[in-house]
Amino acid sequence: MNAKKERVPGNGLGGRIINALDDDRLSQFAIPVVSIILTILAAAALLLVLGKNPATAMTGFLRGSGFMMKPIYGGGQSMLTDFLSFLGILAPMLLAALGIIIGMKSGMFNIGMAGQMLAAGFIATVFVGYSGLNAYLAKPLVILLGILTGGLIGAIIGFLKYRFNIHEVVSSIMFNYIISYIVAFFINTYYKDIITRSSRVCSAASRLSITGVTWGTSKLTLPLGIILALAGVFLVKFLLDRTVVGFEMKAVGLNRDCAKYAGVNVGKSIILAMALSGVFGGLAGVTYYVGYFNSIVPKELASLGYDSIAVALLGNISPIGAIFSSILITIFQKGSIYMSSTVGVPKEIASVITGILLLFSACGTYMRYLARRQRERLADKAKKEGVQ
Amino acid sequence: MSEYIVEMRHITKRFPGIVANDDISIGIKKGEIFAFLGENGAGKSTLMSMLFGMYEPDEGEILVRGEKVKLSSSNEAAALNIGMVHQHFKLVDNYTIAENIILGIEPIKKIGGFIPYVDCKGAQEKIRELSKAYGLEVDPCQIVETVNVSIQQRVEILKMLYREAEILIFDEPTAVLTPQEIQYLLDIMEELRNKGKTIILITHKLEEIKRIADRCAILRRGKLVKVLNVNETTTQEMANLMVGREVVFEQEKSPANFGEVLLEVEDLTVRNEDKFDVVKNVNFSIRRGEIFAIAGVSGNGQIEIADAIAGLIKPQKGAIKLKGKDITDESIRRRTEDGMSYIPEDRQRLGVILDFSLEDNLAIKRYYREPFSQKGILKREGFQKFAEELIDRYDIRSGQGAKTTTRSMSGGNQQKAIVAREISLESDLMIFVQPTRGLDIGAIENIQKHILRERDKGKAVLLISLELDEVMSLADTIGVIYNGELQKISPAEELTTNQVGEYMMGVKS
Repeated sequence: MNAKKERVPGNGLGGRIINALDDDRLSQFAIPVVSIILTILAAAALLLVLGKNPATAMTGFLRGSGFMMKPIYGGGQSMLTDFLSFLGILAPMLLAALGIIIGMKSGMFNIGMAGQMLAAGFIATVFVGYSGLNAYLAKPLVILLGILTGGLIGAIIGFLKYRFNIHEVVSSIMFNYIISYIVAFFINTYYKDIITRSSRVCSAASRLSITGVTWGTSKLTLPLGIILALAGVFLVKFLLDRTVVGFEMKAVGLNRDCAKYAGVNVGKSIILAMALSGVFGGLAGVTYYVGYFNSIVPKELASLGYDSIAVALLGNISPIGAIFSSILITIFQKGSIYMSSTVGVPKEIASVITGILLLFSACGTYMRYLARRQRERLADKAKKEGVQ
Repeated sequence: MSEYIVEMRHITKRFPGIVANDDISIGIKKGEIFAFLGENGAGKSTLMSMLFGMYEPDEGEILVRGEKVKLSSSNEAAALNIGMVHQHFKLVDNYTIAENIILGIEPIKKIGGFIPYVDCKGAQEKIRELSKAYGLEVDPCQIVETVNVSIQQRVEILKMLYREAEILIFDEPTAVLTPQEIQYLLDIMEELRNKGKTIILITHKLEEIKRIADRCAILRRGKLVKVLNVNETTTQEMANLMVGREVVFEQEKSPANFGEVLLEVEDLTVRNEDKFDVVKNVNFSIRRGEIFAIAGVSGNGQIEIADAIAGLIKPQKGAIKLKGKDITDESIRRRTEDGMSYIPEDRQRLGVILDFSLEDNLAIKRYYREPFSQKGILKREGFQKFAEELIDRYDIRSGQGAKTTTRSMSGGNQQKAIVAREISLESDLMIFVQPTRGLDIGAIENIQKHILRERDKGKAVLLISLELDEVMSLADTIGVIYNGELQKISPAEELTTNQVGEYMMGVKS
């Protein structure tokens, strides 16, 4: 019995791509890879239209993110400085994406990531960042406050959904506004730095990074958040794949009626999932505001909170996939400043590229369909030739 | 030109892990009702899906009106005047009946010769004419989600007729209908044949074939067993060919041996969302070793009784007692643990999570306990072992065993999985709602045997079925429901089928 699908005859590159795109196992890797290649081609075309050299622009992104040497470095700077800084901003991106993933697996869209980040970052800054506690006490406290603040907001959103059937997208967007204005009020009234017009910088002891390390001639900032983020990846994967709680969350996410029928406490599961999603939002917030930027601009929600949705989707809503997609999207976001200063393209091109990437990856099913059709066509042709 | 309007030659179709159709050759004549008979997963639907352009055969060829055709989409099939009514209807719920029918081929008129608009009025007229011509009564202005399944099915049929289909494929059309609605549909089909249409009927109900089909092809495990002239054969012969062995129609039932009262339902009243009492002051009790069947026409409150006992809906008033304990306010999980199994009517919405694997679905009521998990951590090997055991014992067929996505399994096998899961809970009370709906005769026989075995083990069984035959052959006690009220509760042997039917219609009280 031949259960396997027929392969496209011939082993050309085209044939291999087509096979990979329509393979049950391989397609989850092949589709993102093809999307990325298409995005790079589209971005290159865009840059050409703007009259810039796409190759310099692309390497500009990599140089800016510390993946390639820049031609010259300022005092105390090196490729390693850039790379560590890249990891510093990768951490909140990955953490926020994990929060989105938990939500989506449970059938909820936590679009309020940015608000949860801001609230957690603000609370941690005010209570620990300005406290003068020593590092051994301050850093764990910052993490704890991030978890509690994010978790609490998430739980409230979940509760509103369960108890009053208020859609989580609506309530979390409202929360974004509420948090943003309250935080802005407090910063402007009590914590403003007169010169920068942002909040005062939090103490070095409280930051989730170690500053002032020297290595050779470069001054380094070691990001601690990335450890948190990578641990988070495996934690979320374990939670979803191997725990009773994760099983219930997925059941509720896929078929709420059946979950209820099977005896799952749907309300508890929804609130828990949103709380956990918020926990990761909170962690993203503290690594972002207390570790990377170290101050808060009033009335501004981090666009990273929204980019994390793109990361989660591009990574196929899987924790492991999010590692790769967050690296990719962060390269564009982080590298855009350097790229823009050397090539002269506005740095907003990074958001355009992220958008194109999302667009292509959203076409995944269509790509698979095209591949299948092409394969059938080729198989037909081969059969006909075989007959003749 | 050949004598056949449709001819399929040496068709083979493979799916991962299974050969759905194995070298099947068949010819269908114009103006006949041709039936495909086979068990769940025998390959009937796959074969017809190829004629409708949903799949392409791996080998073999299809001829329509004597010409070789290649069907790679349902549009191409429609162009050849082939139409299909699927088992699960494909309608837009919040569109009107007329809008659903014209969807995709909207008649366009132009205001002042250049502003296009959809001519709904004209379409409605045409639909009214069609429905009059074939006796398919519908109101084209009604919204689809507000009408019942029987009318939705008429809409599907009208959709084909509106597209001027000559060859009509019906995929298990009676699985979702009540006995009266089935009668009506069969009449319609005969009417269609008399008007010259060719009808292909996929089913596993022998009586239907016997009643209306001219010829019948029997499929078993992907192979064509035989093509029979229906008037030269018997239902017994067809059943044996389909299952591949001698089939027992009447279940052998040992004399009842009642124990203590297990379930008591007192003054149960259930109110629906429209503040209407769908169950009114219902009282009954079930003893150990007893099959208590609720007979009734669909929509008379029997599903709500089951849902209330299982805890899915809160009763307005009344009490439910299990083993003497009041469980009216208990959680669903608590009831399961107290000893209650429930096979719900809507298997795809309630019974399984379609995107879960088979093993996950089989464990969905027990995943939090040993051997499926320990201290909150799942033990995958426990899932697999349990699933393999049930797959084996209940003959659940799937492409990739325990790891198969439930969505890819046939409806009948999904049902078998639910039945297997619920019986394996070994609860004292088992609620079966339409346990054999949509199943083939072999599987029905098997499940009915299980129900009787559970009764003989001293379990209390609440059976809710629309199939009067099933109620009559299994029940020890029959309660007939009409309009939310139990009209009559009586030992089964004291009632005849006709009497039950009269109570069901509310004629007798």
